[in-house]
Amino acid sequence: MLQPPDVSLTPLLPVLIVLAGAVSSTLLGFWVSRRILTFINLGAVTLSALSLGLLWNRAASAFGGSLQADNAALLLAFVILTGTLMTLLVTLDTAWRARVSFPEFDAMLMYAVTGCLLIAFSGDLIVMLIGLEIMSLSGYVLATLQGSRRAEESGLKYFLLGAAGSAVLIYGIAFVYGATGSLNYAAIAEKTSVLNPENTAILVGGALLMLCGFAFKVALAPFHQWTPDVYGGAPTSVSLFLSTVVKVAAFAGMLRVFGGALENAPGWHSVLAVLIAATLIVGNLAALRQTNFKRMLAYSAVAHTGFLAMALLGTPQVGGAALTYYLLVYTLMTAAALAIVAALQRSEEGFSLLDMRGLYYRHPAYAVALAVCLASLAGLPPFAGFFGKYLVFQAAYQNGYAWISILAALTSVAALVYYLRPAMLLFMPDRTPAREYSLGQRTPTTLTVALGVVGVTALGLLPNIWYSWVANPAIWTLLVGR
Amino acid sequence: MNSFTDWLPTLMIFLPLLGSLLLLVTPKTFRDEVAGFIAALTLGAGLAIWRGGGSELFRWDWIPPLGITYSVQLGGVSLALALVTALMSFIAILYAARRIPNPGPMLSLILAMETGLIGIFAAQDLLLFYVFFEDALIPALLMLAIYGKSGRMAALTKFAAYTLFGSLLMLVSIIGVKTLGGSPTFAMTDLKQNLVTGSAQTWLYLGFLAAMAVKLPLWPMHAWLPDFHEQNHDSGVPDVMGTLYKVGGYGLFTFAIPLFPDASLELRPILMGLAAFTALYAAWIAFRQTDWKRLLAYAGLSHMGFVALGVFSLNETAVIGAMYLLAFQNLYTGALFLSVGMLQERIGSLETRVGGVMTQAGALGGLTMALWFASIAVPGMAGFIGEFSILLGAYQVFPWLAFIAGITTIAAAAYALTAFQTTFWQARPAGSVTVRDLVHTEWLILGIPLVVLVLFGVYSTPALNLMQPAVRAVLTALGGN
Repeated sequence: MLQPPDVSLTPLLPVLIVLAGAVSSTLLGFWVSRRILTFINLGAVTLSALSLGLLWNRAASAFGGSLQADNAALLLAFVILTGTLMTLLVTLDTAWRARVSFPEFDAMLMYAVTGCLLIAFSGDLIVMLIGLEIMSLSGYVLATLQGSRRAEESGLKYFLLGAAGSAVLIYGIAFVYGATGSLNYAAIAEKTSVLNPENTAILVGGALLMLCGFAFKVALAPFHQWTPDVYGGAPTSVSLFLSTVVKVAAFAGMLRVFGGALENAPGWHSVLAVLIAATLIVGNLAALRQTNFKRMLAYSAVAHTGFLAMALLGTPQVGGAALTYYLLVYTLMTAAALAIVAALQRSEEGFSLLDMRGLYYRHPAYAVALAVCLASLAGLPPFAGFFGKYLVFQAAYQNGYAWISILAALTSVAALVYYLRPAMLLFMPDRTPAREYSLGQRTPTTLTVALGVVGVTALGLLPNIWYSWVANPAIWTLLVGR
Repeated sequence: MNSFTDWLPTLMIFLPLLGSLLLLVTPKTFRDEVAGFIAALTLGAGLAIWRGGGSELFRWDWIPPLGITYSVQLGGVSLALALVTALMSFIAILYAARRIPNPGPMLSLILAMETGLIGIFAAQDLLLFYVFFEDALIPALLMLAIYGKSGRMAALTKFAAYTLFGSLLMLVSIIGVKTLGGSPTFAMTDLKQNLVTGSAQTWLYLGFLAAMAVKLPLWPMHAWLPDFHEQNHDSGVPDVMGTLYKVGGYGLFTFAIPLFPDASLELRPILMGLAAFTALYAAWIAFRQTDWKRLLAYAGLSHMGFVALGVFSLNETAVIGAMYLLAFQNLYTGALFLSVGMLQERIGSLETRVGGVMTQAGALGGLTMALWFASIAVPGMAGFIGEFSILLGAYQVFPWLAFIAGITTIAAAAYALTAFQTTFWQARPAGSVTVRDLVHTEWLILGIPLVVLVLFGVYSTPALNLMQPAVRAVLTALGGN
């Protein structure tokens, strides 16, 4: 008897709306200007975010569980869409200056977001992999699109290392399939709880290979080498996208796979702990030595990967909530900081730390906003970055990784130094001529910055606004789907 | 619940912050008045709480899923410190308005910092305490960044790095206290019922101690202090706030003793030794300083050694003395920083060897002298009661350490009087500018703290009555040592 396939498009709605935006950018690009396309895409992203509300608490799934629109997916999708919205707003102002103002740019961006959402909604390894590849391939194009030597270098590095990362990941998936005989998260989770010894070795191998693959994507040391070059070389609006949306999606994948499917698999926890320790040390210490602000933010993104990944060491119930809370805060503050860089830089190299001196006296609003973002990135209360840090510290601590918490606390001191130094430079009186682009302050960028600053302040004073959505442990116990 | 008095601590905490934001939109001509009014109102709120005999515990669930509460209470020691903070912030604003051209940002920052400081004293929830503790840091850094001298970046980095090194270890410790103790929330009332025991308590205490040792400061975590004061604005206004920010002694008293009673007893000899050494060492270094601000920084450090000695001794007399000294040293150290600022305004230098100022500015010299007397614990001034009680109490625990600390009072007289002599007495160098004496509000700025110091030096009962029950309540956690 032939079973009809379980096709249901409702759970796919948020992904489809974004895909529609991408397709319309591809086709309409022949007739209308990019600006109009960007507004269409902004609408698509907003609609997609609204459609998340429709699916809330429905625990819908489709394609035999390959696609899960459970609350975890919806929350992660919300973070992804927030980042996308901020990216699109920033590109309205800066894409023409970065010479990437083509319809293709928008199309690629929206395809990448489609991939990102697929990862969050994935219910098996194949869907996750397809999403990851759509996201990565579009990301390579975005990084290269500018057509300058810097962008080409950045894109090629991203492509070569990203492709290697994907290959390792696929190899890992093959191992896991070999060990458990399934690609479905739920089935894998079921098999890993009762496993005979000869399969264990293959499973551990597979889990570790997948961990390496993901480590490439989220930039965990020692697989982070591409990050500063790619983020530093790509146009700033693209760096914004790569360091927020793409990273959130990769973490969504990690949460699904390691917090869900492989939660009971042995071996990967301790390896992840070592990778995190290396990331915290390398990322924070390297950022301390940077003189270019954009490159410093790239290293800070690496360091933040370390903090974010600490959540994966916790139990999924605590860690999932911590990770999702932190991801939103991370997106808000990183996007707002990079939006200001994109607006005020003279060239796509960003600006050097010394150029920031006295910015408060020339662009008071942006300077204060940037200082707030930096304080939040540094984890100072009352900004939301503090609660993000607190939550991941707690998640790791409670699951027996106190040493990682202490190491993270110590490396945070370095982080605070490199965040606070530029923040303080902003307020130091300066008599030399301005070295930033003086016409950078434009409405869409200001909207992004305002969203970021209001977001981190509100979430810092009343973290419950967002935390109450993610706090329910039941959301994170069913990461594998039903 | 919910009567007006329950809201008073919250009002006192956030009123300055509101004022700070209000100043951003106030026209330039009214800024000084608005800032002064807000600071006076805050002080008034504090006095109202005092008149009502301290406030009840006010508790609101801030982030229920995480067990973080907004618990505040001002009473006893915390009220005394909050009052001193409000008074000195008011005086700092008076002087900033007078001294600093275009003082808008400075006034804003003073008020913002006041919120953080009063919050630190009012917090009865460990995580809320941490939040306020870090909040006060941002205005302190900004004051240094905006108004500091040429070497401020290094000083700023050092200050931030030390503070955060300590406070992040404290954060891990705070998480540990709740997780290992199994308390439902971070509120002190819950934490006290779910104490961590055994060796874990010692480790958590060490984490907590890291932050408090930086903020006391206690040797060897003090290196940020002299640079911080030296690089800050000449007026001494940020230094007043920096002095108020030395909350380590209070943090240890309110949180560490009740939460880590066994560890406090266990580490008592080492910590008291460190404290006594800090007091003596700082006094010795102070003697060698030729910059008034560095000298005051080390003098303050020496006093903090005394405070630490009192707190670590866990003896009732000594702890009361420590809290008394902590509160009142804010007055004289702060006022001395301002008097140094006035001196700098007149002679353009912070050197301790300018000579002869007294001949032309008798009132400045006289008031400075009187404040120094308070600082070196001359009987009849509030500082004496604090230091004497500490020594008396510490003597009952470790006589030798009390003796070492006792030497410090002699050393203090030596460094203070030598520097005073070379600045205010001796001959005024030929051809140097005429020094103007105190004018207008400058009388109030140095006078008010002095009056308070004399008042509580002669008639200490109100302050002692305020502090004693609070200290007794905290020390009961030790089960009577």
